[in-house]
Amino acid sequence: MKFIPDKDILLFKSCLVNVEYPGIESSTSYIFDRIDVEYYVDERQSCCTGLGHYYDLFDQLSTTALAARNFQIAAETGHKNIAVMCATCYAILKKSANILNQNEEARNKVNKILDDSNLEKMEYNTYDMDPVKNIFHVAEIFFNKRDKISSLVKVDLSGFRVATHHACHYCKVHYNDTIEGVRDPNLIDSLAAAVGVETIGWYDHKRVTCGAGFRQRFTNKEVSLAVTAEKLHVLKENEVEILLHMCPNCQMQFDRYQPYIENKLETEFNIFHLNISQFIALALGADPYKVLGIQTHTVPIEPLLKRLKLPFNIVDQKENAKAEKSLKN
Amino acid sequence: MIGGGISGISASLSLARQGIKTCLIEEQPTIGGAMVKVGKLFSPEKLVEECAMCLLNPLVNEAVEHQNIGILTNTTLKSAERRSGNFNLLIESKPRMVIEDRCISCGSCAEVCPVEVKDSWNEGMTIRKAIYKPFAQAVPDVYTIDLENCKKCGKCQDVCRMNAIDLEMEGEIIPMTVGSVVIATGHKTFDMAKRPEYSYGRHEDIVTQMELARIMGVNGPTKGKLLKPSNNKVPERVVMVQCVGSRDEKPGGRKYCSKVCCMVAIKHANVIKQHYPDTDVIICYNDMRTPGMYEKYFKYAQSNGVRLIRGRPGEIAEKNGIFTVRLEDTLSKEPLEIETDLVVLSTAMEPSKGTIDVSGILDVGLTEELFVKEKHSKIKPVATEVEGIFVCGTAQGPKDITDSIVQANAAASKVSELINGGVELEPFVASIDPSKCKLCRKCIDVCKYKAAYIQDEVLTVDPISCTGCGACLWECNNDAIEIMGQTDEQIMAMITGMLKDKKPHENRIIAFLDSVGYVSADNIGINKIDVPNSIRIIKIPSMNRIMPKHVLHAFKMGADGIIMGEYPYNLMYSRTKEKIRGLKRELLKNNINPDRLVFYKVYIPYFRGLASKFNEFDGKIKCLEN
Repeated sequence: MKFIPDKDILLFKSCLVNVEYPGIESSTSYIFDRIDVEYYVDERQSCCTGLGHYYDLFDQLSTTALAARNFQIAAETGHKNIAVMCATCYAILKKSANILNQNEEARNKVNKILDDSNLEKMEYNTYDMDPVKNIFHVAEIFFNKRDKISSLVKVDLSGFRVATHHACHYCKVHYNDTIEGVRDPNLIDSLAAAVGVETIGWYDHKRVTCGAGFRQRFTNKEVSLAVTAEKLHVLKENEVEILLHMCPNCQMQFDRYQPYIENKLETEFNIFHLNISQFIALALGADPYKVLGIQTHTVPIEPLLKRLKLPFNIVDQKENAKAEKSLKN
Repeated sequence: MIGGGISGISASLSLARQGIKTCLIEEQPTIGGAMVKVGKLFSPEKLVEECAMCLLNPLVNEAVEHQNIGILTNTTLKSAERRSGNFNLLIESKPRMVIEDRCISCGSCAEVCPVEVKDSWNEGMTIRKAIYKPFAQAVPDVYTIDLENCKKCGKCQDVCRMNAIDLEMEGEIIPMTVGSVVIATGHKTFDMAKRPEYSYGRHEDIVTQMELARIMGVNGPTKGKLLKPSNNKVPERVVMVQCVGSRDEKPGGRKYCSKVCCMVAIKHANVIKQHYPDTDVIICYNDMRTPGMYEKYFKYAQSNGVRLIRGRPGEIAEKNGIFTVRLEDTLSKEPLEIETDLVVLSTAMEPSKGTIDVSGILDVGLTEELFVKEKHSKIKPVATEVEGIFVCGTAQGPKDITDSIVQANAAASKVSELINGGVELEPFVASIDPSKCKLCRKCIDVCKYKAAYIQDEVLTVDPISCTGCGACLWECNNDAIEIMGQTDEQIMAMITGMLKDKKPHENRIIAFLDSVGYVSADNIGINKIDVPNSIRIIKIPSMNRIMPKHVLHAFKMGADGIIMGEYPYNLMYSRTKEKIRGLKRELLKNNINPDRLVFYKVYIPYFRGLASKFNEFDGKIKCLEN
């Protein structure tokens, strides 16, 4: 088992998290603050380019150069361990670190770019960033502290039927570094267990992609959503109520498109989609709106909360929407 | 002989026939290993399947009756130590609870035993009692009580007419001194819990090849009928999945090819096709590996209508009792879903726990994959790193019965060489001065020949294992080690002699060569190739023997350069490179140009290379002089 740090951590901001589900970041901070993880968020940090890279908009050199800059920001602030909330950031940063460490030509080009941009102070030297020892998914940081998490649980979520969706770019790209199983991924299952929830474990298509495939969602929408639908069908057969995610892109694919697919196929799945950070934060008693940020979800989380009978002020989004509509009219 | 499978039995018989007393120890209550379970054996030349038990049973009987063979079942190796070429072993026999001499194997005890457990001999597909005999022809032909499950109710004792059951029986520790040990501890198969995507364990009708062998064995759960475990119906289709765990570079996989699975799958496919021609058989393969005569048997399977699809299934899903095997047909590059009602997984062969445990006890090296490592896989097969310990069968790596028997005979022959032929030893071995030795163990750690060991608080060197390489001398801070016949005085004297009567302006270069380098230098002479007059050759067992004091002495006595030549594929070579760097640092400290010492890899056929290296170095030394 690899060493997982609990300090000197740069919590790496993610564009999809910030734009689509900002509650993932606030939930992560909420948990980190309570399990004694020392971390830092840096405003100067840029995007990993992942989305653009996989859309063929950013080439590998630009991606690597931006990674080098982000690595130096991490080092400069004394937070050399990077923890990501998005599986795309995870794979992109690891690949970039490998290139910077192993490919001298690429490293020289990147250093020249930094030089030309008056960032000579940020020059990258071999192994400034170790992709195995310094780059993690936040789920791994949680896993390392799962006993602490267990001791803080306030809300019993064990009444739900829960399944997990492990991100491809965490499990399948740098698989030698993946913890808790590659073929049989169980990282999120173990974290759910830490908050007292036994997941359904293995199910058919457990390892299958969410279907997003970056631009595939737009250019090959039918194939993309057919994959998502296939997985949703299996989850429905297994009577799953909550699907847990570790990547905002997967979460988008399921949460944003589930109603669309339901409409198309004239069926109902009624599956809630939560990031593992949101799920743990909820178990720890975090506010569903201020911390989990469920107001940004497409599949409303309120019915889930109602079943929990929490003391929160639950907003009925449908009523809200109606009210907004009537205001506009 | 550790392990009573086909390898251990074959090697024991060979040794016994040569007059060597052999003790065969087996962990299980019966000997025979995996071979008794497989039912049929493929016979590629004859294109038939032969009865495994019919071939094995005569060998087992001969082993039982042979006066030179003692068989101990329920027995494991507990500890081992080497003593001047011999091994002192402690072996432990678990109590059988049944007195062997009295049991007549009538089976009344099993009839009354109330405890029912899964029968591992039938891969858990049938039930046996806590007092049992694994199978009808089991050797020894007696019942055994499975201590893990026995409730000691005493019902068996009441019913036994022979008074053969002793529930108070105790285990036994037996000391034994032997001249040689053969490891024949076999293999296990891949743990299917690591492959949840194949749904093994969730559905009864997804089985391994070994389970299929039991199902089709006439002494198996269905008396030889191919019936699905879930409903006792003949399957309409059988899909076999090859390389389950083998040839797999992902975490948890085995990178090697398990070698036997292609032939095992074809064998079972042929048997199915003969008896159930209407059952469709599909083998999903990556490459069919059927070298030599096996190819004929493969073609025979194809002519029997066995279908082949190239591709490694990704998942096996179940819906309403029908399995869907998902894969990519890598020839047509199309994704494919095959529906079937029986799936057979060809699981990888892995080292058994016994193999790993026994190797630890005997201190023999293991490969990266934890099979027993051979001293040199090409030129020294079946020899382990420890002199006198040999390996055969699947303990050494995946192989079929044919190869296991061949290897068992090779191991027996090596044991026989050692025991009947005696040993000739080179005089150049390390000797220890116990008054100086502080038992720091540094020499033990450095020796890859595993020649040094501590016995009764005294460091001892096994003269059979030691090559006199001298690596331990570097490690010893107490000057407690000498190489007999190559003492420091002798080496110093040779150096002094080689540099005697050196004339002014004459250059002299000392060449330290190992045995390969020395033969190479001989070849230079025989082939009349010019070498500079400056070269003076000293033969040593290994470059590890040359220490800073020797090198400094040579330069002090007037040497102008030192060239060291060694064959690189010896066990201690990794240390050699380190040593050369150390020697160069010493020279620098003593204000001698480190370029005056060079190292060169030597090979017997490449003597011209050595000659040109001599010339090149001589030229370099001349330049340094000027």
